[in-house]
Amino acid sequence: MTAVIRTENLVKRFGHVTALDELDLEVAEGQTHGFLGPNGAGKSTTIRVLLGMLRADGGTARLFGSDPWSEAAELHRRLAYVPGDVALWPGLTGGETIDVLGRLRGGIDKRKRDELLERFDLDPRKKGRSYSKGNRQKVALVAAFAADVDLLLLDEPTSGLDPLMAAVFNECVREVAAQGKTVLLSSHVMSEVEQLCDRVSIIRKGVIVESGTLTEMRHFTRSQIHAVLKNPVRGLGDHEGVHDLRTEGLEVRFHVDGTALDDVLAQLAVAGIASLTCEPPSLEQMFLRYYGDELAAKGVDNGNGD
Amino acid sequence: MATATTARSTLREGSLGTLAGTGKLLRFQARRTRVYLTGWFAGMIGGTLAIAAAFPDMYATPDERAQFATTVDTPAMRSMTGPAEYIDAYAQSGAAMFAHQMILWSTLVVAVMYILLITRLTRADEETSRLEVIRSQPVGRRADLAAAMLLASISAVALGLLIGLSTLVMEDADFTGAMLYGLLHTAVAVTFAAITAVTAQIAGYSSTSNALAFGALAFGVLMSMVGNAQENAAVWLSPFGWAQETLAFTPEQNWVPIVVAAVVSAVLIWLAFALVARRDFGQGLMAARPGPATARAGLRSIGSLSFRLSRGLLWAGIITMVLLGAAYGSIVGGADDMFETLSETQRQIFEQEGASITEGFVVTISLISAFTATIFGLLVIGRARKEETGGRGELLAAAPVPRSGWPGSYLPIALVTATVASVVGTVSLALTGVGSMGEWSYFDEMLIGGLVHLPAIWIMVALAFACLGWLPRAGWLRWLPWAYVFIAGYFGPILEFPDAMLSVSPYEHVPSYPVEDLDWLPLVVLTVIAAAITAIGYMGVRRRNLQFS
Repeated sequence: MTAVIRTENLVKRFGHVTALDELDLEVAEGQTHGFLGPNGAGKSTTIRVLLGMLRADGGTARLFGSDPWSEAAELHRRLAYVPGDVALWPGLTGGETIDVLGRLRGGIDKRKRDELLERFDLDPRKKGRSYSKGNRQKVALVAAFAADVDLLLLDEPTSGLDPLMAAVFNECVREVAAQGKTVLLSSHVMSEVEQLCDRVSIIRKGVIVESGTLTEMRHFTRSQIHAVLKNPVRGLGDHEGVHDLRTEGLEVRFHVDGTALDDVLAQLAVAGIASLTCEPPSLEQMFLRYYGDELAAKGVDNGNGD
Repeated sequence: MATATTARSTLREGSLGTLAGTGKLLRFQARRTRVYLTGWFAGMIGGTLAIAAAFPDMYATPDERAQFATTVDTPAMRSMTGPAEYIDAYAQSGAAMFAHQMILWSTLVVAVMYILLITRLTRADEETSRLEVIRSQPVGRRADLAAAMLLASISAVALGLLIGLSTLVMEDADFTGAMLYGLLHTAVAVTFAAITAVTAQIAGYSSTSNALAFGALAFGVLMSMVGNAQENAAVWLSPFGWAQETLAFTPEQNWVPIVVAAVVSAVLIWLAFALVARRDFGQGLMAARPGPATARAGLRSIGSLSFRLSRGLLWAGIITMVLLGAAYGSIVGGADDMFETLSETQRQIFEQEGASITEGFVVTISLISAFTATIFGLLVIGRARKEETGGRGELLAAAPVPRSGWPGSYLPIALVTATVASVVGTVSLALTGVGSMGEWSYFDEMLIGGLVHLPAIWIMVALAFACLGWLPRAGWLRWLPWAYVFIAGYFGPILEFPDAMLSVSPYEHVPSYPVEDLDWLPLVVLTVIAAAITAIGYMGVRRRNLQFS
């Protein structure tokens, strides 16, 4: 598989602030790639470097194998972008905006445009200044999905959309993915990323701290186990992969590292299992784990504990 | 329960119903607008002081002023200045002459200042939902409008007082006259604040609110011009006319127009307060009309989009320049008569190099027109920056458009806008000038005399674009060269600037046709410099980060 997006040691500074600190990101062709991180972690900065709006201060960035800064205009033919905060021209209607953006890339498929307008329930005759945030977002989404491109860069695209429209958005992303197009989806909505993305990268303070498929990432994080045993089990608390153990008679609850799952289950089997539930960590729990120390500093439970 | 009752009663006791919180909002709004107000105050007071200080020297003796008065008493000149009562007082008082020449233009600037201020504090806040945050606080429905009007009124009184005191630098100015001159500014300021308070309720958007208020302003200027030219009651339909009818610094000075302004303002403010409580938050009384569902076929390139977004400035430029050209052109014919009244020394100044007084006049007018046309080019460049900081450009920067297209396409549009404005203004001047002189032979001279300024205009626009490319955050830097060049060109000769300081300005190198011969070399050099600055500008636009919010 070839990489559509690849950055190596990407650095971007704004004055004294280092927004991207040797960031490595790779998105393969045909992938729907989730890009997670709190506000200010560097998601939008990364995307803007990839769009050639910001010039990298170090490292390399490649889009379809070319330099996104020097080849910006050519590369943009192959991609569509939805910014996190869509600003529209106050005097242009939504329909005019969608048409202009489409024509800039050489024409728009009218049928597709009208179909998308219908699906997103958007009135194209309203002026830009009178749209609500959600409706501005829809204008940019219709323009992006109507474009015939290989790559979609979506920066928190569902912020401001109601759940109904978020569902339409999910459907659109699935269709695009089914056509073999690549999607980079930056989001705060974990359920959205869990449903749509094959791979996920978690960014923190300008560095990718974790990248992989959800299955891979689960393997490296903790599952929650609740078991009722036939006989008491000994030494479970001594196992270094077991955390937050609570025992009530024959009932045990604990978190276990993905790597220690084999050992621990074998230990339980020796004692005899009456019932067992094993809950893999949600993406939200994994995400919070990477920010655990930050949250702890703010007095918030990191969600992996009890 | 007890606490709830207490809380409610304090809210009721400490408030004025729909005006609750006005005092707090007033302090808040004063803080938000302190830079805006300080800037306008400095400009108004500085301008008044500078002109009042320079004025007495230009026409020092009663004789000179009396002679000048005879040339001013024509319909065209009265429309540009004011009622004839002032002209009768020229000989007695230089201050009356000052008031006559200044009132229309000075109050016009004040009107613009207060229109923008009120829209900014009312409709613009409502449109951007800043006001939503404030209205959710324990403040009344009318409090923000009340605070805005209070701020406008208080600042208008202060501004009037300071302008009045500034005129006292003239020896001929008496204290009562000075106070009346200041107060007429206050009256115009409050009247236009009140007009805008109403338009802000009618319109749903700040741009519409401003447009309606500027419409009222244009009507006021027109009525004042018509009324003064024909000496009829149309003057009384205009807030500017009321200001002029005070006859400040003349023996016939009159306070009644101030009362008229106060009554009309009170009625308008009452109307605005009635409307604000009647309509829904965020809505205007004018319903928003739906627009086209699809873009027109012509809207297909980045250039056509940028043009569409800035074409309002082109129209503003064309209208302004046509009016300016017509206003000056209509008095060109009187230039020779004016010459008759000048003293022997003054004649010598104008008669240098054997040129006629009319020709010298045409050179000066063409220069002023060129400065004005340049403004519209600079405004277009400002639009490019606004697209960037407003985040709208992000959608375009992500489209397959090179930097030379966005934001680069704004340079050719700015050049075209300034060029068209200049050409249209020149043609308007030449046509009306020929009309007022009754001689077609001057048409070519006036046309060429205007068009020779184009290369200098191009340099100024290219310079603003280069600033956008290299130092985008410094918006003031786009205007600094223009301000310098304007001061050097307009006041430089009076203030006796050294040659080195003057020669920085590209307009200094434009041949003073028709007084001088047409020399092509400087025009070619200026064009080449404009092209070089353009290239530097494009380099900057290509290499910098785009700064979206």
